[in-house]
Amino acid sequence: MTAALPARRPPAGRGLAGLRVPAWLGTPVRRLVTAVAVLWAAATTAYAALLLAPGDTVDILVGDGADTPEIRAQIVAEWGLDRPEAVRYLSYLGRLLHGDLGRSYQLQRDVGEILAGQVGPTVRLTLAAAAVGVVLAVAVAVATAGRSVWPRRIVSAAELVAVSVPQFVIGIVLLFVFSFSLGWFPVSGAADPQALVLPALALGLPVAGVLGQVLREGLERALEQPFAVTARSRGLSERAVVARHALRHALLPAVTLAGWFTGVLLGGAVITEALFGRPGLGRVTMQAVTGKDMPVVMAVVILSAAVYVTISALLDLAYRLIDPRLRSA
Amino acid sequence: MKAIRGALPFILVAALAACGSQTPAAQTGGTALTWAVETEPITFNPHQWGQNKARLLVFNQFDALVARGEDGSFVPWLARSWKVSDDGRTYTLELRDDVTFQDGTKFDAAAVKANFDKLREPGYNPTVAAIQLHAFDKAEVVSPTTLKITLKEPDGLFLDFLSSPLAGQVSPKSLKEAEDLKAGGPDVVGTGPFVLDRYVRGQEVHYTRNPRYNWPPQGSAHQGPAYLSEVTYRFLPQAAVRIGALTSGQVQVVEGVPATDIQTVKSDPSLSFQSALNSGTAFSYYFNTSHPPFDDRRVRQAFREAVDLDTVLASVYQGTAKRAWSVVADTSPFYDPSLEKTYGGDAAKANALLDAAGWTQRDAEGYRTKDGKRLTVRSVAAAPYVRDRRDILAQAIQARLKQTAGIDFQVRIVDQGTAQKAYEDDAFEVFENSRGDSDAGAALNLILPKGGAINRTHFADAALDTWLAGATASSDTAERKALYAKVQHKVVADEAIVFPIYVPSDQIAASRNVQGLGFDPVSGTPRGVYDVRIAA
Repeated sequence: MTAALPARRPPAGRGLAGLRVPAWLGTPVRRLVTAVAVLWAAATTAYAALLLAPGDTVDILVGDGADTPEIRAQIVAEWGLDRPEAVRYLSYLGRLLHGDLGRSYQLQRDVGEILAGQVGPTVRLTLAAAAVGVVLAVAVAVATAGRSVWPRRIVSAAELVAVSVPQFVIGIVLLFVFSFSLGWFPVSGAADPQALVLPALALGLPVAGVLGQVLREGLERALEQPFAVTARSRGLSERAVVARHALRHALLPAVTLAGWFTGVLLGGAVITEALFGRPGLGRVTMQAVTGKDMPVVMAVVILSAAVYVTISALLDLAYRLIDPRLRSA
Repeated sequence: MKAIRGALPFILVAALAACGSQTPAAQTGGTALTWAVETEPITFNPHQWGQNKARLLVFNQFDALVARGEDGSFVPWLARSWKVSDDGRTYTLELRDDVTFQDGTKFDAAAVKANFDKLREPGYNPTVAAIQLHAFDKAEVVSPTTLKITLKEPDGLFLDFLSSPLAGQVSPKSLKEAEDLKAGGPDVVGTGPFVLDRYVRGQEVHYTRNPRYNWPPQGSAHQGPAYLSEVTYRFLPQAAVRIGALTSGQVQVVEGVPATDIQTVKSDPSLSFQSALNSGTAFSYYFNTSHPPFDDRRVRQAFREAVDLDTVLASVYQGTAKRAWSVVADTSPFYDPSLEKTYGGDAAKANALLDAAGWTQRDAEGYRTKDGKRLTVRSVAAAPYVRDRRDILAQAIQARLKQTAGIDFQVRIVDQGTAQKAYEDDAFEVFENSRGDSDAGAALNLILPKGGAINRTHFADAALDTWLAGATASSDTAERKALYAKVQHKVVADEAIVFPIYVPSDQIAASRNVQGLGFDPVSGTPRGVYDVRIAA
């Protein structure tokens, strides 16, 4: 992502003077076109994947119940499964353009409606987890970078544990200690902010682990640079050197990882939500995938793609803020 | 600066402690109950019901026309009485006249007719229209309290249908106006003792007491409104989390206690524990007889003889599973106990049978072979149906089969679509299944007759089909029992097309002060909470 960015800027608008698109307009337009293309590709890939996956839709809808030609005919008619694949694909895309995500086979409701109710809890959970990850990582990295050996060893070990232990296990351990034994936090209840603490920790700790390692290494490298020496020689305290100078350098690789975190957080939400009995996209997705509830799976794929596209756009902005070299380019 | 750094962990812990000062749900009032359940229902509309694990919710909100007593007999509920004509084709229901739906609509014969008509509407619930109501011809309103139902042919399972969640009576107003009728929820109302007023998908469903309720089924422990003012069911799919929530007092009742936790719960003096065997069919392995090696009865018998099932069940379920001897569950009135201890667990016999069937060679890994082909049998199971540690059970059976008889038992747990495809392509030898139908006959009709919806043994036998059809048409329990005994003898003893393994059960663990919990006498699943109260 880092390397691709500067390269994207020059070509457009350089040819004919009359066709020159102002830079401030060109980037957003190109970005929008790319975003739509990515979304279309995601929708199509998901559609194709589910089409190729084993199992006939009618079979799935019939399930283990009665299987007679009349029942099959009713199902085919109800869901319009008698039309050719190409027609169904195009009508699917058409409906998508109108914002119609279709109807869930399993839950018998509009997919848009189902997801609308689940986005909020998942957003709250992932944002809280991201906050936990970032705050912990920055705090720990700043506190331990370039310091004595023992605190660093302990923190490194803790980070390694957070990264390598499955989220499910972290969640169970947190529940046993802080909910079942100490009784500080409830297991579930999304309306209650207290119920968000343990799931956010379970989801955020692995992020904190990775981010912490990356940040500390970056900080340590930056602190050895000549500019750090200069800053120190100007009489700045070590903390000020870290906060004002080194951290900015260390942040770049960390921001690059943010795209990856999005995946970790969304994927981890599936496990975390089921474990803590929280509502959210993860649980709906799991139910939909096991039940081969195509319309719901497709909608989740498109939604995830949209989130990725947005995040990567925001990241580009963030680079500009952190790295002045990109601003002047 | 050192001081700040050293203080950081303490600040974090203090911050954590500050956010958490919750009061356990138990303290929020004497008559509110929180119950953690394993399964979130796909629908709250009783007409669309299909998950046994969700059965406990249905009768909080809805009442059926007929109920079942502790002894399994049919007793009055919304129908005060009923008469069946001599030819078994006309059912005349006399309905209660003091019942209102939760939306204020009067319950009467026209409402019941509207429910039947809806169930038969194309596309509403094709399965019920084709199976449970296959014999249904018409319903006629004779008077506001009298409904006459005419069947095309006698149906011994019709009263069972009238007592099932599928016959839960939905307000005609909801049937017409509900926005998401098939999904159910707060706007699809019944006549039951509780009103569903809040549903948070993925988290919980909340009911409040219906203050006007005064029409429980005959034989209920009390009359009038329910004791509890409100009840919340939390959806916690992880067993360890449910148990932890119970022991820490965050919920007062849980269902679905895994074998590994039963001892912990039993030894806790503040908790009560109860379990009940489910109705329907036992969890069984059905052998696919359409191709080798299970087209040979000796191989099917050898499979059963090679497994010392008592030992396997004891190690997998720590003595909490009840071994099954017939395809029909022990709790059914049709269960044939004469099959007990008539087969299984004889390694020498297993090997003799396989030798006789020509599987005499062994390959390098110790598996039996015949004409250079290994004795391999495959089981394909859809993940959503794999519960009760059935995957671990399969591994234990796999190990026994290899060790005692050289049978290569391969187990694959896959998604629903893949399983469906394997069944269609006939690419499996073992089909695992249990069904929780309240009348075992309904389950057998799907599994055993030629062309049955899930007849995956591909076994066909004219006599068997005649017995099944005869038992379905009859409503004479003694006659049905005799016919189903023949059926069980045929498929378990004579033909060995099925390997019954264990009788599934349901468990309830609760705080000791919660009283009146129990199981539905027919299905063996947890009951609703109408009779439940919290002692001071």
